[in-house]
Amino acid sequence: MHKLRLVIAREYKMRVRTRTFVLSTVGLPLLMAAMLFLPAYFASRHSGGTVSIAVVDEAGGLGPLASSALARSRTATGDPRFKIVSTIEHPANSSRTVEELTQQVLAGKLGGYLEFPAKVLDGGSARFYTRNPGNLTLTNALESAATQAVIGGRLARHKVEVADLKGLLARVPVDVVKVSARGDAKEKGQTLYVAIMLGIILYTSLLFYGINTMRSILEEKSSRIIEILLSSVRPFPLLAGKIIGVGAVGFTQYLIWATGGAIVVSYGAMMLSAFSAGSVGFHFHFPLWLWGWFIIFFLGGYFLYASLYAAIGAAASSDQDANQLQVPITSLVVASFFLFTVIMRNPDSTASVTLSMIPFFSPILMILRLTLESPPLWQVLLSLGILVASAVGVIYLSARIYRVGVLMYGKRPSLVELARWIRYS
Amino acid sequence: MNALELDKVTKAYDGLTAVSNLNLRIAQSSIFGLLGPNGAGKTTTLRMILRIILPDSGTIRVMGAPLTETVQDRIGYLPEERGLYTRMAVRPLLVFLGGLKGLKESEANRRAKQWLERFEIAAWSERKLEELSKGMQQKVQFIAAVLHDPPLLILDEPFTGFDPMNVAAVKNVMMEMHDRGTTIILSTHRMEQVEMMCDSICLVDHGKQLLDGDLREIKRAYGKNTVRIEFAGTRNGFDLARFATSVNRYGTVVEARLRPEIDPQEILKAAVAQNISLARFELVEPPLADIFVEKVTAAHA
Repeated sequence: MHKLRLVIAREYKMRVRTRTFVLSTVGLPLLMAAMLFLPAYFASRHSGGTVSIAVVDEAGGLGPLASSALARSRTATGDPRFKIVSTIEHPANSSRTVEELTQQVLAGKLGGYLEFPAKVLDGGSARFYTRNPGNLTLTNALESAATQAVIGGRLARHKVEVADLKGLLARVPVDVVKVSARGDAKEKGQTLYVAIMLGIILYTSLLFYGINTMRSILEEKSSRIIEILLSSVRPFPLLAGKIIGVGAVGFTQYLIWATGGAIVVSYGAMMLSAFSAGSVGFHFHFPLWLWGWFIIFFLGGYFLYASLYAAIGAAASSDQDANQLQVPITSLVVASFFLFTVIMRNPDSTASVTLSMIPFFSPILMILRLTLESPPLWQVLLSLGILVASAVGVIYLSARIYRVGVLMYGKRPSLVELARWIRYS
Repeated sequence: MNALELDKVTKAYDGLTAVSNLNLRIAQSSIFGLLGPNGAGKTTTLRMILRIILPDSGTIRVMGAPLTETVQDRIGYLPEERGLYTRMAVRPLLVFLGGLKGLKESEANRRAKQWLERFEIAAWSERKLEELSKGMQQKVQFIAAVLHDPPLLILDEPFTGFDPMNVAAVKNVMMEMHDRGTTIILSTHRMEQVEMMCDSICLVDHGKQLLDGDLREIKRAYGKNTVRIEFAGTRNGFDLARFATSVNRYGTVVEARLRPEIDPQEILKAAVAQNISLARFELVEPPLADIFVEKVTAAHA
């Protein structure tokens, strides 16, 4: 036990101190956050200032309606988004007006001009002329203002006067509510976010830490220190120490992320919503019981895959060997990622239930089912039981391959040879 | 008491016998030479003694006790293929390896410092191994084998990779430990070292014992049937082959194993007759290298 502790401690300390660990621990959440928030942030920054525009109304009567609708639009900082420089109703010489305005846009005096064609009240579209058509926030604001103006115009034709057009036209959002045995929770598609996020985290860490274990064993083998180690420690504690040590590093990383995530969610939400202008205002619904299952299934999956990768590391003599041998195992991890869609389509179908029982897929797929719906407890426990039993079996077989493999150099062993190694005394 | 006893130890890999029916008795406090051509089964034997692999049959006893993990802690090992964690710093690595042999951290630290000073690499103790020269890495590897002061020390080609000064340093450590009663098993191809250091030897080939016992007795059994001649000037086509079964030439010195029917005097007469002047003419026991070659060649025939 003392030696096992030493092996775990060395493995853990060596890894946690590396630059890779620090960079991936800090970098990965930053990268994810950047991918989520930066586009929104830049979009809001981009349209931050007030834009001067002109309105050309060939239909008649739309100018004031458009102006008041546009005047209500605000930027993230609360400033008016638009400044209406001029409203031209029924221009005498339509083409000359347009040409003059175009010149002003090109000269930078105008951000753009909004044109309502004569037939817009009978259907058809308004047009916005600008040098920068890619600004979606601005386009969206214009579209909603134009819609209000045109609908106001159409209502006026039918002699309907409406004071609060905006209130009348307000959209009715449909909230999707997940029904589960644990009580109802109002959600906005965040279940899907959480499921995908958990899936990606499990997928990357199973691959990353599994392959890490493999490389580390191969390194001990090719640097020949294995001979020194085996003259002091039995193969099983050595293998177990390695797998536990690397796993503990992954666990540490999760703890850091979870703590950091909790801080961001509770204290940073206001900050985030300040510059994301409410456009990406989702908050994660991540209950404790899900976190618990996540850890349990991660550990089961990690032990299963890490010991498979460990056997490969022990059987191979070179990086090329290892890369070839690990293909079937990596394919299993990748496959469970692609089987995502089966579960997402219907988490309760026979296919989903069956797949979430297969130990190579269950760490990812059962967590996915747990996030999306509430599978019966017996299914979760059965899947976990199968996972644990297979992990124990695989660890046993891997240890037997390991103890022979680490001392074998030369050509890549065939499956038949690996089977023979398992049977050695 | 014997430091090590092997009884009918056999190990096969996929039907190929690496070691077959090996019996060894290694006396406590002796220096023992394990010899044999490449692929003879030496490394397999050493690995079984170290419990890195287990024999298919037979028993191994170290200091009278069957091999267990605690016994493993009392053996020091310098493998032929050297290797360490290159990304670890020297002192922490030694403390880790010492810990695996049962040393407490503080004790391992203290000893590591002493040894690093003795081998004059104390200034490098917090540097990573990959920053050290090959020679310095070899020193660290040797320290790792002796750090826990094992009563049984197994050295596989201990002098390769060292310059003559460090060879002397390593040899001094070995002799000090020998004086304190450490049993040393030496596996090497350098016969002159075996002849100088070892009390007894075992010669193995194809997993079988060809020769085994006290080195002096083995050599005595061959008798003084070898002449060593040092020429003073030119050797001028002086042909020894007609007197000898084998001739080894080392520049001015020649060693010849005489045919049984030849009287050494005949060679001297022939030299005088051909007017060849000799600086030295000596009857000696055959060098171990010759015995090695003869035994292995005979076994292959």
